[in-house]
Amino acid sequence: MQQVMLLIQYTLVYASVLTLVALGGCYSERSGIINIGLEGIMVMGALGGALVLGHISPELPGIVIFLLAVLAAMVFGMIFSLLLGVAAINFKADQTLAGTAMNMLGLALAIVIVKALNIAASGGSNNSAEIAYTATREKLLLAQGTEFSMFMVLTAIILIAAYILLYKTRFGLRLMACGEHPQAANSVGISVAKMRYAGVLISGALGGIGGLVYITAGVSKTNFEVGVAGFGFLALAVMIFGQWKPHRIVLAALLFGVFRALANVNSGFDFLAALNLPQPVYNMLPYIISLIVLAFTSKRSHAPKAEGIPYDKSTR
Amino acid sequence: MEMKNEQKHSSFFKRLLANPGFRSFTAALLCILIGLLIGYIVLLIINPANAGEAIGTILKNFMTRNSERLRLKALGNTLVKTAPLLLCSLSILFAYKAGLFNIGAAGQYVLGAGAALYCALGLNLPWYVCLVAAVLAGALLGAISGALKAYLNVNEVISCIMLNWISLYTVNSVLKDFCPVGYKDTHTLTSMNPSAVLPTLGLDGIFGNSSVTIAIPIAIIIAVAIWIILTKTKFGYEIKATGYNRNAAKYCGMREKQNIILTMVIAGSLAGLASALLFLSDYMQWDINQSSIPAMGFNGIAASFLGGLHPIGAIFSSYFIQHITDGGSSLDTRFYPVQIADLISAIIIYLCGFVLFIKLKMIKASGTIPQKRPDMAAEIKHDADNKKGGDK
Amino acid sequence: MQANRAAVGGSSEYAIEMLNITKRFPGIVANDNITLRLKKGEIHALLGENGAGKSTLMSVLFGLYQPEEGVIKKDGREVKINDPNDANALGIGMVHQHFKLVEIFSVLDNIILGVEPNTAGFLKKNEAREKVVALSEKYGLRIDPDAKIADITVGMQQRTEILKMLYRDNEILIFDEPTAVLTPQEIDELMQIMRNLAAEGKSILFISHKLNEILSVADRCTVLRKGKYIGTVDIPSTTKEELSRMMVGRDVEFVVPKKEATPGEVLFKAENISVASKAHKGLAVKNVSFEVRAGEIVCIAGIDGNGQTELVYGITGLEPLESGKLFMAGRDKNGNDIPLSEITHLPIRKRSKLGMSHIPEDRHKHGLVLDYSLEYNFILQTYFEPRFTSGAGFLKSKSIREYADKLIEQFDVRSGQGAITTARSMSGGNQQKAIIAREVDKRPKLLVAVQPARGLDVGAIEGVHRRLIEQRDAGNAVLLISLELDEVMNLSDRILVMYEGEIVGHPDPKTTTVQELGLYMAGAKRE
Repeated sequence: MQQVMLLIQYTLVYASVLTLVALGGCYSERSGIINIGLEGIMVMGALGGALVLGHISPELPGIVIFLLAVLAAMVFGMIFSLLLGVAAINFKADQTLAGTAMNMLGLALAIVIVKALNIAASGGSNNSAEIAYTATREKLLLAQGTEFSMFMVLTAIILIAAYILLYKTRFGLRLMACGEHPQAANSVGISVAKMRYAGVLISGALGGIGGLVYITAGVSKTNFEVGVAGFGFLALAVMIFGQWKPHRIVLAALLFGVFRALANVNSGFDFLAALNLPQPVYNMLPYIISLIVLAFTSKRSHAPKAEGIPYDKSTR
Repeated sequence: MEMKNEQKHSSFFKRLLANPGFRSFTAALLCILIGLLIGYIVLLIINPANAGEAIGTILKNFMTRNSERLRLKALGNTLVKTAPLLLCSLSILFAYKAGLFNIGAAGQYVLGAGAALYCALGLNLPWYVCLVAAVLAGALLGAISGALKAYLNVNEVISCIMLNWISLYTVNSVLKDFCPVGYKDTHTLTSMNPSAVLPTLGLDGIFGNSSVTIAIPIAIIIAVAIWIILTKTKFGYEIKATGYNRNAAKYCGMREKQNIILTMVIAGSLAGLASALLFLSDYMQWDINQSSIPAMGFNGIAASFLGGLHPIGAIFSSYFIQHITDGGSSLDTRFYPVQIADLISAIIIYLCGFVLFIKLKMIKASGTIPQKRPDMAAEIKHDADNKKGGDK
Repeated sequence: MQANRAAVGGSSEYAIEMLNITKRFPGIVANDNITLRLKKGEIHALLGENGAGKSTLMSVLFGLYQPEEGVIKKDGREVKINDPNDANALGIGMVHQHFKLVEIFSVLDNIILGVEPNTAGFLKKNEAREKVVALSEKYGLRIDPDAKIADITVGMQQRTEILKMLYRDNEILIFDEPTAVLTPQEIDELMQIMRNLAAEGKSILFISHKLNEILSVADRCTVLRKGKYIGTVDIPSTTKEELSRMMVGRDVEFVVPKKEATPGEVLFKAENISVASKAHKGLAVKNVSFEVRAGEIVCIAGIDGNGQTELVYGITGLEPLESGKLFMAGRDKNGNDIPLSEITHLPIRKRSKLGMSHIPEDRHKHGLVLDYSLEYNFILQTYFEPRFTSGAGFLKSKSIREYADKLIEQFDVRSGQGAITTARSMSGGNQQKAIIAREVDKRPKLLVAVQPARGLDVGAIEGVHRRLIEQRDAGNAVLLISLELDEVMNLSDRILVMYEGEIVGHPDPKTTTVQELGLYMAGAKRE
């Protein structure tokens, strides 16, 4: 029973990460920009959040710590996502290449910054890329000794807001128009560049928060040399499986969350233990599942029609 | 008189700009310079007092060593790692010509290493069998991504990333039985199975470095071969036609699905060979605890784009990337993180995204192709549609 | 540049004036001193061939381009239009040739996009729906506001575009080639809608190259040719011949002369074939049968989107058949004739080798590799043959160059640097010539030509038509797929009309009329 609880907790934690990041990808792609760089954005968001958690006083109220960390993660993610915006929107660069560069850049930059800070703080003796935040992380939990945290509440709020924003508002209508038929949007006076920047910045904010949630999932310190272990790409698979729709994305995220959580808690289940699978199999599971899911769902793709294509004003 | 002179200059300059090779070279140089400049600024921010020396260390790499012998040996080390990097960049470049983004070179490299080391340490096989095993392993992984793309429309970037992680966990668990007790690195080949070490043909003597093997000439020969395949053969003609316009390739009866798979198989083989060339040189061993994917495959992206997506260009760009990476690793860790070099390569890749834009500016400045009517833009958009595959 | 500043004040008789507009692009003057004055409440036609500068002029009016010279006036007052928003604010709206509709949105969402009624950013769709329904009733524009664009007919999509303008209270309505996608009956309906709108005081600019439509609906007509202003005429006092002379610059032969056909044996046969649709889940081609004989041009006529594209995909092998069989007579690699035999499951390459050539509908999507040189494009269908590829798989660059030079000469393909010119930098007409050269030089038994004259100017169209007739006269089979009624009437030896995936009629080209064809094409008549 305890193991089931643990599984549920970890599932919700990882599903939160995937939901947030996949929603970010969804907003970017709905505006017409393919965001392969989510992994890098997550790392930068994690960096922003970890810096706050690692350096702020644990004496502050939990909600203040929470808000400051989320704010830092968002801002870091958004600033970093501008790299994609500038390359894809202003310079019409290959979006896959720009995104790939961002993943490498995000990781290298985070390592350099954390190491530089550690070197400076220790006078050269500590050149690790680690930040620890045991005390502050505890303040974010809703119940001590569990994984239920304020982040889950935040994810639920963001999910509902993302749905409403996309389907019920003027902004959402315009954003989707830019991803489907930018010429049509432009012909009725909508600035495609502005809407695409909005999409990319939202993906930066959500990807950043997702990164922060990831590094606080069951751990109280993070080594940036490891990055976020391909979660940015798992989120892309979740987004595709969720057909670019917020209400489906959350279901896809829960499914992937279960498999990722099994890697943490599989030893506690008798029937799984009886299978005697080696741990690496559980580690691989989310990636294998996402390959299988993609194989079944990619044929009939509901991707926004104009995604990945640089918008040129003079195109008719 | 003065006017005339000016005109002469400008026309010479225009002729230069009209040359595609010159354009690629200039654009690459620009990316490198901006990348280094940003790297230098980062060094300045971290520790201003030693920044000048540090950027010098990165750029000079082996030249900072004290004696001729040590310099040669260090150069040898850089070359040992340039060979796999070159092959990874060829892998990415070859796939890119067919319109595929082989970010899976990293995973194909990992699986290749696993296959080569398993054959060498587990099965005690000679080097050439290990080499073939690595090529096959890479090819297999490439074939999976290719088949998923061709038959099920799975975006190759995402499938490749998933396979990268699957490969890493697989190889880590397969190789864990081949480490000395209590160590996280696999046995050296020299200690367990010297027949698996690549022959040196005397190159080791020249560099005073036992790791310098035939890997280096093999990599260069393959680069030339790839260049010939792409420009002079029927197969290259088909691959490039598929990459430029998949629909037209289908229209004229090219078997696009088979070509996609074949391209990924070749790309995978190249990446698989890359790791075999490194690990069978016995220069380094596999760390079974590594929890992030080796950077070699990703750096290959930098090298291929920096080299203007040209196989011969890739030889020079691969050397350059490895040169600054090794230079970065000799930074004084009391002041600087060694990943500054990774940061610089990443910035260079990012800037490569702007190369098309820079080249377009140069074409305009050269005035060779008078920009036609606005329909030009429509064509370009159309083209982008075609590259997406059009079948969505 | 002298600007005309005669009319001052708001009481001008003109709704919009574009005076002495000049717009240059590097290497070309797209609009050279063009003047266009649209009276209030009139229907004013803008006539010109492809590339005459109509689109550029409209882009200037919508602020997509800034002219180097000239002024624009609204109600006699000079205005500056920097982007489509400015044009919209001045009450200018346009139905584009290619509709600007978001397919996954509803009709209503498309209409309100850009001017959404809202409270604090939240959409107020009910309010919008009421206004849209009222407008559609007032002007007789039948639509379903909640249907998705992807699910409705082209005619309803066009009415959605018109409602988009009316919803914005636009006073100046521009129709860009609005009839290309409509049946003759739908065209009549559109003409009536335009007259209604003008009667309500809207000023209408009607862009077209179809003389009959202009003569039937417009009050005045401004003609452009090769970027230059030719003149403005009153429609009641002009003739079709005068308009066409103004448009083309010389007298035009409307018909390419051709001899009586002498059909021989059957070279191609389709038997009950069905092809799946790209757009929806059903069949696009339903149980179609026909044959093409040696020495005849068989034309498939019909409105765009009635299954012609899929029919061609099925015949050429780009898409598999759902059911049915295909047969073709051809020749083997030694040039010996092969009698009619089944090709249903042959891949594209084998059909091509057998003697099928295909001039595709979309020359940029299928016909050319735009980033390849002209010479590489010439060998797209034959690069693997021993004359271009050695046994070891190497391309024979010398033979390729010689072959290209031969075709360039023979088919008069013009390009900046000859064989090594990038296809992308060639003009549309010469790109099409290159494709035709490649496909015809294969000496096909069956030539499938899909809208081969699309987007070409009148002179080039004549040339293309001559090539098709040459093929026929050489004893080969020609299957022509066309949307242009003039082309259908002039070239065909037999006509098949396609409607909703079926062949609904075989009218005789010698006796049928445009009206009769129209009834078949609209599904109003079938055999």
